[in-house]
Amino acid sequence: MTNNYVGKRVKRTEDPRLIRGLAHYVDDVALPGTLHVTFVRSIYAHAKITGIDTSAALSTPGVVAVYTGQDVAGKIGPVPCASALPELKVPDHRVLATDKVYFVGHPIAAIVATDRYAARDAVDLVMVDYEELPVVTDVEQAANGGPVIHEAFGDNIAYKLTSGEGDIDAAFTAADRTVKQRILHNRLAPIAMEPRGVLARYFPGEEELTIWSSTQIPHLMRTQVALMIGIPENKLRVITPEVGGGFGSKLNVYSEEALLGWIAMQLGKPVKWIETRRENMQATIHGRGQVGDIEVGFKNDGTLTGLRYSVFADLGAYHQLLTPAIPTLTGLMLSGAYKIPAIQMNITGCFTNKMATDAYRGAGRPEATYVVERALDLVAAELGVDPAEVRRKNFPSPDEFPFHTATGLDYDSGDYETALNKAQEIIGYAQLREEQKKARDEGRLIGIGVSTYVEICALGPSQAMPAGGWESATVRIEPTGKVTVLTGASPHGQGQETSFAQIVADELGVNINDVTVIHGDTGVVQYGIGTFGSRATAVGGTAVFVAVQKLKEKAQKIAAHMLKADASHILFEGGKYSLQAAAAASATGVSEPVVPVGQAPAGALPEPETDGKSNLTIQDIALAAHLAKDLPPDTEPGLSATYFFEPKNFTFPFGTHIAVVEVDHETGDIKFLRYVAVDDCGRVINPMLVDGQVHGGIVQSIGQAMYEEVVYDEQGQLVTGTLMDYAVPRAKHIPNFELDRTETPSPVNPLGVKGVGEAGTIGATPAIVGAIVDALAPFGVRHLDMPVKPENVWRIINGN
Amino acid sequence: MKLEGIHQLDAPRERVYQCLVDPEVLQRCIPGCERLEKTGDNTFAATIRAGVGSIKGVFNGTARLEDLREPEHLRIVVDSKGAPGFLKGSGDLDLEHAENGTKVNYSGDVQVGGTIASVGQRMIQGTAKMMATQFFTSLNAEAGTQAGEPPPQHGFFRTALRWFSGWLRNIFRKH
Amino acid sequence: MIPAQFDYQAPATLEEAVSLLASDLDGAKILAGGHSLIPAMKLRLAQPQLLVDIGRIKSLAYIREEGDEILIGATTTHYQLESSDLLQRICPLLPDCAKSIGDVQVRNKGTIGGSLAHADPAADWPAAVLALGAELVLVGPKAERTVKAEDFFVDLFTTDLQPGEILREIRIKKPSGRFGQSYQKAPHPASGFAVVGIAVHLGLNDDGSCKAAAIGVTGVDVKAYRAKGVEAALSGTTIDDDAIAQASLHVCDGVDPNSDLYASSEYRGQLARVHMRRAIQAAKAKAQ
Repeated sequence: MTNNYVGKRVKRTEDPRLIRGLAHYVDDVALPGTLHVTFVRSIYAHAKITGIDTSAALSTPGVVAVYTGQDVAGKIGPVPCASALPELKVPDHRVLATDKVYFVGHPIAAIVATDRYAARDAVDLVMVDYEELPVVTDVEQAANGGPVIHEAFGDNIAYKLTSGEGDIDAAFTAADRTVKQRILHNRLAPIAMEPRGVLARYFPGEEELTIWSSTQIPHLMRTQVALMIGIPENKLRVITPEVGGGFGSKLNVYSEEALLGWIAMQLGKPVKWIETRRENMQATIHGRGQVGDIEVGFKNDGTLTGLRYSVFADLGAYHQLLTPAIPTLTGLMLSGAYKIPAIQMNITGCFTNKMATDAYRGAGRPEATYVVERALDLVAAELGVDPAEVRRKNFPSPDEFPFHTATGLDYDSGDYETALNKAQEIIGYAQLREEQKKARDEGRLIGIGVSTYVEICALGPSQAMPAGGWESATVRIEPTGKVTVLTGASPHGQGQETSFAQIVADELGVNINDVTVIHGDTGVVQYGIGTFGSRATAVGGTAVFVAVQKLKEKAQKIAAHMLKADASHILFEGGKYSLQAAAAASATGVSEPVVPVGQAPAGALPEPETDGKSNLTIQDIALAAHLAKDLPPDTEPGLSATYFFEPKNFTFPFGTHIAVVEVDHETGDIKFLRYVAVDDCGRVINPMLVDGQVHGGIVQSIGQAMYEEVVYDEQGQLVTGTLMDYAVPRAKHIPNFELDRTETPSPVNPLGVKGVGEAGTIGATPAIVGAIVDALAPFGVRHLDMPVKPENVWRIINGN
Repeated sequence: MKLEGIHQLDAPRERVYQCLVDPEVLQRCIPGCERLEKTGDNTFAATIRAGVGSIKGVFNGTARLEDLREPEHLRIVVDSKGAPGFLKGSGDLDLEHAENGTKVNYSGDVQVGGTIASVGQRMIQGTAKMMATQFFTSLNAEAGTQAGEPPPQHGFFRTALRWFSGWLRNIFRKH
Repeated sequence: MIPAQFDYQAPATLEEAVSLLASDLDGAKILAGGHSLIPAMKLRLAQPQLLVDIGRIKSLAYIREEGDEILIGATTTHYQLESSDLLQRICPLLPDCAKSIGDVQVRNKGTIGGSLAHADPAADWPAAVLALGAELVLVGPKAERTVKAEDFFVDLFTTDLQPGEILREIRIKKPSGRFGQSYQKAPHPASGFAVVGIAVHLGLNDDGSCKAAAIGVTGVDVKAYRAKGVEAALSGTTIDDDAIAQASLHVCDGVDPNSDLYASSEYRGQLARVHMRRAIQAAKAKAQ
């Protein structure tokens, strides 16, 4: 292979079309005769529906049909939940509410009209009679005798689960001291820049349904929607055109997707629904939403002995695809980057009158990292030692890998101390602490926060996944020498069209512009799992890499045949197959003349000019394989290979983030002074993409730490219903990031990559909150809940 | 959302109380109240065009007077719905003798839902404050007249003008 | 996010706009930059029957000196005010205020007249025009009249504009003598609107003492207001740190500060005092 691309800052091939507005999102796909769908959604958080009158809406000009829950009952199956937990209570989640509504935004009726305006006009004309029911929005109240949401279950507890290894009681007995803290993980809205959208078209003759959807999982959606609406899976094609971000919110199968497919089949016309931002806030999954108690036992020298975390998870009113599973990921990562002999996690998953929570960038892992890192800060405060030193004390050393944790995982590889050292060096840690002291003496409130995180990526071995954890790839060389890559991963902003092309171009020794990566169309691409859990490169990229190796093996055979040599004597280098020097000397040097087969008709492919050549490009071979006039015996024509890669383990990226903030003691405003991140995501395919992922991740961490919070009032009204109230961080809220890396390859896959899609969101939050808490340490503060808003800070400083 | 405040009115307590239980007076005082019909003892059906600036919505609902203790206390319970959402709540009004008139203490709890709840978070308190002020200003003018006298013309002409232009518009739209 | 049906007219002259507005006093709305009205329409909280778009009347966007006045056309965008060399030289408070509004897209489209007429309680311009003692020229079907900024803001989203009237121009006396100005703001992290916004115009005597202060406050009450208590307390002082601190305490005199999810009434009051002090200090620094 050559090294022209991998490891280099190759510009994203996706960007020119995105930047110039030439890319096609679902809403850009225009089909003649398309009807438009809007939804009547509940304005109550919990109510009985006592009547729905659709007559006025139906008589509105332009309105074609109105469907209520009764109309689709028995015709569309429930919205799927793929999490299989013991004794999990799964509510019957219909695509439209029937007798009750459970959260603000709950869809009640779908209106189909000739344009979006008529459809929206009709929404106000559907008369829904409600009988209000008592509402429960607080997760602990939900768990402890609050109004019951799903009556059949008798209470609001969806499941309870205890996980962990080691003798937890002994661990706490062995501890010299313990620290305890109640910790809140604020509910967040993923806010993909492109909201969800669905377009469905049905051909009654062919009995073929095509759904264009802004999703992260086209194949899984095809399977689920086929089951929901009862169409054969191979008659349903799901296409994901450009996807404007997902962050986990599109790792799901929603009511709207099945409903639109079904409506298209009823009406025989294309139907489209584009989510509004308000719907996106109300009815697209939220993330986080946990409140728990962490307790850590430790020795006087800082050695950790045990960790216990009991958490209430706010699941919302229904399970979406992975809702109940998210808190279990928290349980898996509670060992953090540390040796902790015994760990126990108790989860109580509860229903509340809110939208479901599910995977949002990090999905359960940010919660784990946050509680562990906050706990380590508390240990440091308790012992009066530097938070970096408590961390260092408990790291496993590089030779302890694979490292088994008391949460049942085996970390693949790691060198945590090197990353910490590097970050400390970059920021000038010792001097910074001195400066902090000085500043405090001058009355300035400066804080330093350290987070040494580890996370779990490359989801994952199929054993551990609800619906397969492998990924697929096909690599083929077309007759003209262009290379086509079909990946089952479905990138939606991560840049895999570029990074996968880098891998393939280097492996085949071709120009990157000759490689096209195709994804997100179940009619074109072999079954795949999708893009989430920082898996696309580690699992999907590996599938691509192995498929290329298979393809090269075949090419090698054909090359040997064409060069009249034994395959073992053929060398592939710089994109060319040639005889090894020794073998070349012994070759006859005589080749059989190519028999002319007459004038090639216009437009025919050129014959490969191999005659007398001592080397062949892989593209020469591809053409020969395609024309198939002279192939080695038992060789299939064409040059294509497919591989399904099943990972043996997860990967465990890690790193150190250090944040430095200054707090304004009069206003409580928080300002970043420095931000250093040293991440280790294994081998790096494209440093620019990695930097971009880390940037975006930290920004979303800043959002959680300081600004973002989905707020429902006591009546279950969503009061942060627009981006005027829900604060997504803007450029002006973001400091300059000083990024660096260490590179510890993963032994789990041949590329040595680990994944970096979520690292920033996981590693940064505790560093930021740690820094703010540290700034306020002179006031005796040891913990603050997120989002840390200026008013809270001001109240602490002013003692009220 | 909790609401409370104090308003100083010039009229004596008995007169203020009379105004507060008179649907005709109430209709004139409640900002944007287009209809207030008695449907039973102390219950009313109401249509209110409520809003501020260009932001408006029509609410239909019921109002009920409770806990009537003339002339010192009453409670108003409102439950209404409209395209922008719902609005319901209750408020206690306590009337006290004051020098040169009456002091009205009000405290209430208002719940809003739907669009206004999810987009108008930063405005709701201010809107409520403004409407309360408008209400008590009009009430003060009303209470300044005697029962049976013609009502004061607070904002009457503007209301009439708007109503007239709206009526004209509807006529033209129909044709 | 999908507005109700409306008619749209883009008159070529202001006279035409006035007569269009008069044709439907209750249902017509003036559209300028659209950055307040259109979001409200998309939420269907505003459902005007007719939009009269004055944004295309070129002659309504200008910044010029005339005699001892600065004249600003109603449809002048925030960006035009932000980037005006003339204003930077003779009345820097305006560019200072403009650059704090929203983001680039908002500043490129949104207009000063639209913002003033909308009278959002957290908008920035009301504070600035109050501090500058501006006069607003309103044109109606019959006549034109001039209103002082102080009398223009009536209540939440409510101005002195009568049905049928359009805000045409903002007139500001050119600041003279020794003076300093500053706009200080605590922006809401999501909306960018002023949680608190303080606009200060400080006139100084030759000896550096305060001749007169004019201060506009936005975000704190249901409407923007003049902080008369602060102005009075500052007047005649040497504007030392102590005087500034003492005067700033009066920012919420007679006002019950707004309370919302982001900032309680108490905290908003604190922000108002701090930003008041900082704004006066900054204005003083510029006057040196």
